[in-house]
Amino acid sequence: MNCTRRNFLIGGSTTLFLSGYFPKISFASMQKKNLIIISLRGGMDGLTAVPVIGDKRLKKLRKKLILEDVFNLNSDFGLHPKLEIFHKLWKKNQAAFVHATNIPYTGRSHFDGQNLMETGAHIPYKEKTGWLGRGLLASNIIGKGLAISLPMPLLLRGVPQNNNFFPSPDFVETKLIDQIYTEFKGEHNELIKSTLDTIRQRPLSMQIATDSDDRKKLALEAAKQLKDQSGPRVAVFDLDGFDTHAAQGGVDGAHADELEEVNKIVTILHKNLGQAFDNTLILTLTEFGRTIKQNGGYGTEHGYGSAILMAGGLLKKSQVYTDWPGLKKKELFEGRDLNSTIDSRAVYNSAMSVCFNKDPEFLRKEVFWGDELPDLSQELFKI
Amino acid sequence: MSLNFYRRVAFGLSPNEKPDKDPLNWAINQLDIIPDFLWPGTIPTEKDLRKKYGEWVYGDREVLRKKFKNDKHAYRKAKDELRIKTGERYFELNEHAIRHFQTKYSKQPVFERFWLFWGNHFAISEKDFLAEFSTGPYQREIIRPNMVKTFEEMVQSVTTSWCMIHHLDNSESFGPNSKKGMEWGETINENHARELLELHTVSPNAGYTQEDVIQLAYIMTGWAHKWDRKNLETGDIWFDQEMHQKGDKIVLGVKYKNDAKRELAKVIHDLATHPICIKFVSTKLCRHFITDEPTDEMINPVIEAWNKSNGNLIEIHKEVITQAYKYNEITHKFHPPEIWLMQLSRMFDLNIPLSFEKMNYTFKSKPNNRQRQLSWILREIGHSPYRAKQPNGWSDLEVDWVSPELLLRRFWFASVELPMLVKSENRSHDFILACLKNNFEDHANMASLIDNFRFGTSDYDLGQKYGVVCNLPGVLKI
Repeated sequence: MNCTRRNFLIGGSTTLFLSGYFPKISFASMQKKNLIIISLRGGMDGLTAVPVIGDKRLKKLRKKLILEDVFNLNSDFGLHPKLEIFHKLWKKNQAAFVHATNIPYTGRSHFDGQNLMETGAHIPYKEKTGWLGRGLLASNIIGKGLAISLPMPLLLRGVPQNNNFFPSPDFVETKLIDQIYTEFKGEHNELIKSTLDTIRQRPLSMQIATDSDDRKKLALEAAKQLKDQSGPRVAVFDLDGFDTHAAQGGVDGAHADELEEVNKIVTILHKNLGQAFDNTLILTLTEFGRTIKQNGGYGTEHGYGSAILMAGGLLKKSQVYTDWPGLKKKELFEGRDLNSTIDSRAVYNSAMSVCFNKDPEFLRKEVFWGDELPDLSQELFKI
Repeated sequence: MSLNFYRRVAFGLSPNEKPDKDPLNWAINQLDIIPDFLWPGTIPTEKDLRKKYGEWVYGDREVLRKKFKNDKHAYRKAKDELRIKTGERYFELNEHAIRHFQTKYSKQPVFERFWLFWGNHFAISEKDFLAEFSTGPYQREIIRPNMVKTFEEMVQSVTTSWCMIHHLDNSESFGPNSKKGMEWGETINENHARELLELHTVSPNAGYTQEDVIQLAYIMTGWAHKWDRKNLETGDIWFDQEMHQKGDKIVLGVKYKNDAKRELAKVIHDLATHPICIKFVSTKLCRHFITDEPTDEMINPVIEAWNKSNGNLIEIHKEVITQAYKYNEITHKFHPPEIWLMQLSRMFDLNIPLSFEKMNYTFKSKPNNRQRQLSWILREIGHSPYRAKQPNGWSDLEVDWVSPELLLRRFWFASVELPMLVKSENRSHDFILACLKNNFEDHANMASLIDNFRFGTSDYDLGQKYGVVCNLPGVLKI
């Protein structure tokens, strides 16, 4: 790669600091828009998912982790071969990537980092709600969040009546739920009460019993729900295992296996959302990227800048949107990590504004305490 | 004093236990000595299981992968056979049985609750084959014996245990200026150092920097498993001078002179006796036993007990219980699924775990469904104890355990699975009433909710009854 920091900025930069945003009331905005977040826990390596092509320094520092056979996205970036669906969608302007991006967190703790990627805050454990939950609440979209996991992810907390889907092996009788519900009184039981409210309002299709080990089935049901015009508007998937300190590998290693999981979920969503895919945005979320240099176990350490993988019909075009910081030692964060030049929260804020039909300026204030987050909707999304 | 105290600090009262005249004393007297394991079946040693771990990874990695590199199908088959032969599918089930047998029958259930607490504080998360072979014995052999010693001694044992070192990759951490580091161009792996600071001792409240993490990682270099071609990573832990970073180190402003293997004990001493560490761990203890957001009034006496006893865990535990007793009537605590299951098992004398005879394993075929039952239930209610997703272990906060599916799983368990675990002699309505009376002040109200089914003893009838009583507000949240 022969470009260096700030000599290119893909996408129009003139609108970076907000031109006005006035949502049009049209048939398009009446159509339900879906926002799907896939959490990649452990620290997703942006340079494995979307590697820079021909960077000698990267090759030298990652001798054992080098990828062959990447898909070429453009002259500067490739795509990991396990992310096949993104390549397919790229050709249809339905996949894009934001690179050298992260939440504004430079510590290297998973727990602090994951807390912050979900709360969107600056101080770990300080906020008890997630940016997505607050975004839904601010947009007055209640009871439309769906988590594909047993616990309710922090990301979705902050708005009441979220649902989750991870069916048990057998049915629970409605009568039993109602009976327990009537017994829950007292202020200290608010959370359980509101959760029971949600359970009682679940659609019939969610009252199934299945093997929740099967990610395919879960993604399939999520797609079914999201497709329904009156169904959820937000879904959150949770993947872990990206913390590859050892045996990270290249095309077939431990990181590749995790990317393959992402690929599977997106493939199922794409296939089963059908036309609703056109009104959908899928974005990944992670706590940090990984070090440029491989470590003693042919893995990588906790780093800083990473990438966001995006898919869906609401993307503006296929692109690698980045303000590339470069990989020379002095260009790295603390001399070791890919830098982050785009606050990833700006991407999420813009995505929410598009999917929830809300002014990004309004959301930025309601959700992210008015932090300086440029509106990227015009660069990244269809508005 | 409410009967819920027996669930706050233990697992409730079994049908043949009666409330004590002095519940506080009852609880405090359980903490001085380590109760023996009661499980009559096999209790393998950590070392034995590490050997099995070695046989499994060596067999797979060094033998089968090479032998069947061109035949995926044959490879899969051979691998399944190896799983059976090495007990890869069995030992975790046995560990769950040992654990649940203990919490069900122990004469010192309060001690057992602390055992669960510490095992989760120094959690081993789901990684490699640790849950299959090592996490259970680690809980028994590393955590448990240290519960009557000091916190510092516990941290020392944990930090140099094979299980934690493997879990957090310290064997892959080389001092860049060490002999091997220079020869092989290797460097540190910060994982273990970071978690020692963040999770095990001082927490981020101590304000340590990236440089502190690096310096601590330097101190820790050399603490690794012995590696050889046959045992791979399952050799004993030792201190490899040739991996150790030379020179003085500075952590949190304290200088540690170049002193090889002795550096670690010194830095652990300073971390484990650091006021911020004491506050952090005391808060966690109060959170576990009292309420999600413990106040300074609850935490401070624990800190005092800690300081007065120089971190003696017996004294600390006693003070935590004293505070739990003091605040029992005015605080609420939601219990995570495994503790809830243990309580149901003890209060209603459920048929779990399976008898030790039936848990017996011959290494000739897959463990059967009955042998897998308890572990399966734990997974389905969302709390497989040795498979926390991350090194910070399982959450102790209600908000992490209340979601539509997690609540439904409990309803499902109590109404569908539990009836099959009721012993044949315990199927009468009177039995349930007696258990309720033994454990709940408002047993009369609870009884009225299931009165419609008082004549029923079928699985369905029992499901109707247990489904309700196990999920009432005062049961899910004391």
